[in-house]
Amino acid sequence: MLAFSIAQPLVLGVSNGAAIGLVAIGLVLIYKSSRVFNFVAGEFVTLGAFGTYVGDQILDLPYPLAIALGLLFGLVAGLLTERLVIRPLANRPRVTILVGTAALASLLIPVEIIIGGAKFFGARPIVGGLGFKVPVADVYMSWQQLIIVCTLAGAGLFLAWFFGRTDLGLAVLATSQEPTASRLVGIRLNRITLLTWGLAGLLGAVAGVLLAPVTSQFQAGYGTTTILIAAFTAAVVGGMTSVPGAFVGGLLVGLVQAFAQINISSKTLPGANSVATLVMLLAVLLARPTGLLGKEA
Amino acid sequence: VAIDLEPAVAGDVLPEARPHGGPNAVGWLGRAVFVAAVGAICLYYIFHFEPSHSDVLASGVIVGIGALSLNVLVGYSGQISLGHQAFIGIGAFTSAYVISQSQQSFYAGLAAAAVVGIAQAVVLGLVALRVRGLYFALVTLVWGFVGENSIFRLESFTGGGAGQDAPRPGGFTTDRAYLGLCVIVLGVILLIDWRLVATKAGRAMQALRESPQVAANYGVNVRAYTLLAFAVAGFYAGVAGALFGSRRLNVVSEDFTFAQIALPYLIVAIVGGLRRRGGIVVFALLFVLGGDWLPELAKSLGVTYIEQRAGLFIQALTGVLAVLTLIFQPDGLGTVTAPIGRWLKGGPFRLGGSGASGAEGIDVRP
Repeated sequence: MLAFSIAQPLVLGVSNGAAIGLVAIGLVLIYKSSRVFNFVAGEFVTLGAFGTYVGDQILDLPYPLAIALGLLFGLVAGLLTERLVIRPLANRPRVTILVGTAALASLLIPVEIIIGGAKFFGARPIVGGLGFKVPVADVYMSWQQLIIVCTLAGAGLFLAWFFGRTDLGLAVLATSQEPTASRLVGIRLNRITLLTWGLAGLLGAVAGVLLAPVTSQFQAGYGTTTILIAAFTAAVVGGMTSVPGAFVGGLLVGLVQAFAQINISSKTLPGANSVATLVMLLAVLLARPTGLLGKEA
Repeated sequence: VAIDLEPAVAGDVLPEARPHGGPNAVGWLGRAVFVAAVGAICLYYIFHFEPSHSDVLASGVIVGIGALSLNVLVGYSGQISLGHQAFIGIGAFTSAYVISQSQQSFYAGLAAAAVVGIAQAVVLGLVALRVRGLYFALVTLVWGFVGENSIFRLESFTGGGAGQDAPRPGGFTTDRAYLGLCVIVLGVILLIDWRLVATKAGRAMQALRESPQVAANYGVNVRAYTLLAFAVAGFYAGVAGALFGSRRLNVVSEDFTFAQIALPYLIVAIVGGLRRRGGIVVFALLFVLGGDWLPELAKSLGVTYIEQRAGLFIQALTGVLAVLTLIFQPDGLGTVTAPIGRWLKGGPFRLGGSGASGAEGIDVRP
C-alpha cells in the first residue's frame, strides 16, 4: 500500500454510511419514544435481507414481491418486539430492557440458522451490472450503492414530512417529550410506541434489503455483526435524539470505516474499521457527550 | 428472674426467627443426606459415563466462572459488559501465548491471564467513570468487537488462523483431572466472591448500584470501588479464559464472538439469577449439559432434525428463558437455589428470594 486512496473509500463510505444511517434513524426513533437502546436492530436488518432471500430464492416470487416480503419481516419483527418484550418490561430499569432486547437478538440468530441453515445466503442487487463511473475519480459506483444513497435521502424527506406535517408525527414527538401530558390530551401511548417500533423494524429491513446485495451474500446474525455497532456509533455521534444527527453520523461513520478499512492493511492492524469505530465513539463520548446535533446526553 | 420473651407488639417477630434456634439432629441428617445424594449423582455422572462427559462439565464450570464475572459487573456494581468475548478471549490468548511462546508453565499462563484480564478491565473501568449508563454499554459492545475483529487477529499474538497451543498442566491432562482443576478454581472464585460481597466492598458496591451520588455522599469511594468491581470481573474472566483455552488445547479466534460468548454468558448470569452465585453456577452447568443431552435425547426419540441442530435449539431456548426471566422472575434460577442454600445452612425451607429482586437492580443511572 503506497498511495492513500481517497475516491474508492469515499464511494464505499457514502453508500455504507447511508445504510448505517437508516439503521441509526431506527435506533434514534426508539430512543426518543422508549428511552431504550435497541439491540435487536441488527436482526431487523438480517430479517429484511432474509425475507428477501426467502421470497426470491425459495418461494420464487418476482423480485419486488420478495423485497416486500423482506420489509414485512422487518415490520413484523419490530411490532412483535414491542408487544412481547418492550411492553411487558415497561417501567423497568433501562438496562433491563436493553438486556431483554439483547436476549431477543440471541434468540433470533439461532432461529435464523435453524430455518435457513448455517450457510451464506445469496443476495442479488435490484439493478445488476458494473454500475457507473463516478465523475472525476476513476472508480465505479454500483447502481445498488446509488439506490442506497437515494433511499436514505428519501427516508429523510419522508421523516421530515412525517414529523413536521402530520398529526401522527407530532403525537410521536409529544409522547417522547411528555408522556403523561400526551396521555392527558388523548394520545394512546401504547399505539405510538408500537408505531415507532414498527417503523424502526421497517427502516432496519430496508437497510438489510439494500445492503446485503452489495456484499452479495449474508449469514445469520449478519446485521448484529456488521452494522449494529456502526449504527449505534452513528446515533451517538449524532446525539442519540436527533434524526438529522443520525443521518450525518451514519455518513461520518461509514466514511471513517471505509477509509480505515481500505487504507490500513490487515497485516498492520486487522479489523481497522472496528478500532476506528471505537476511537470515534470514545472521542465523541468523552469530548462531546451530547453528540454533534443532540440537545441532551 | 423470668425474662419476658414476648414481643413488644404482637406480630413483631421476624419471619426468620426460630424459637428452637435451628434444626434438630434429624434435620441436620436430612441436609447431610441431601448433600451426599447430590454429590453422589455428580460423581456417578462423571465416572459412569464415557470420559467426554467430564469435558462437558468442565466447559460448564468455565461458563459458570465467566458468568460470575458478569455477575460482579451487572449484579453487584450496576455496571454492564456486552463485550465479554474480549474479556474471556484476552485471558485465553494471554495464557496460550505465555505457555507456548514464552515456554512457561500452565500456572504462569493462568497468572498472566489473570493479570492481563484485570488490566484490560480496569482500563474499561476508567472509561466507565466518565461514560455512564447505556452509553457505557455501547462502549463495552464496541470493545468486544475490537477484540474479536482486531486483537484476536494479530498474528504475532494469536498465531493467526492456526491458533495458539495451550497444553494442560502436568497431572491434569485427562478430561477428568482437568474437570477437577476447573472445580478447584471455581471453588476459589466462589470463595473470593463470597468474601467480596460479605465485606465492606460488597456493601459499597451495593450502594454504588443503587445510586453513585448517594453512595458518594455517604463516603463511599466511587472511583475506587468501581475500579475494584472491574478488576474483580477482569480477574474472573481472565482465569475463565485461561481454563477455556487449555480445555480446548488450542485457542482460535473463532471461539470468541459476541454470539458465542458475550450474549450466552450474560444470559446465563441473568437466568441463573443476578447476585445468586449458586443459581448462576447451577444454570451454567445445566446450559452446557443441555447442549449435551438434547442431541442424545433427540437421537433416542428419532428426531434427527433436532439432533443435528441441538446447540442452536439450546441457544434459542435460553434466549426465550432470558426474556421470560426478565419479565416474570427477576431472581432467575436463584428462586430455587437460594432457598435450598438457606435450608442447607440450617434455616427453614421457604420459597422466594431473600429481599431485593435480582434483575431489578441492573439499572445504571445516567
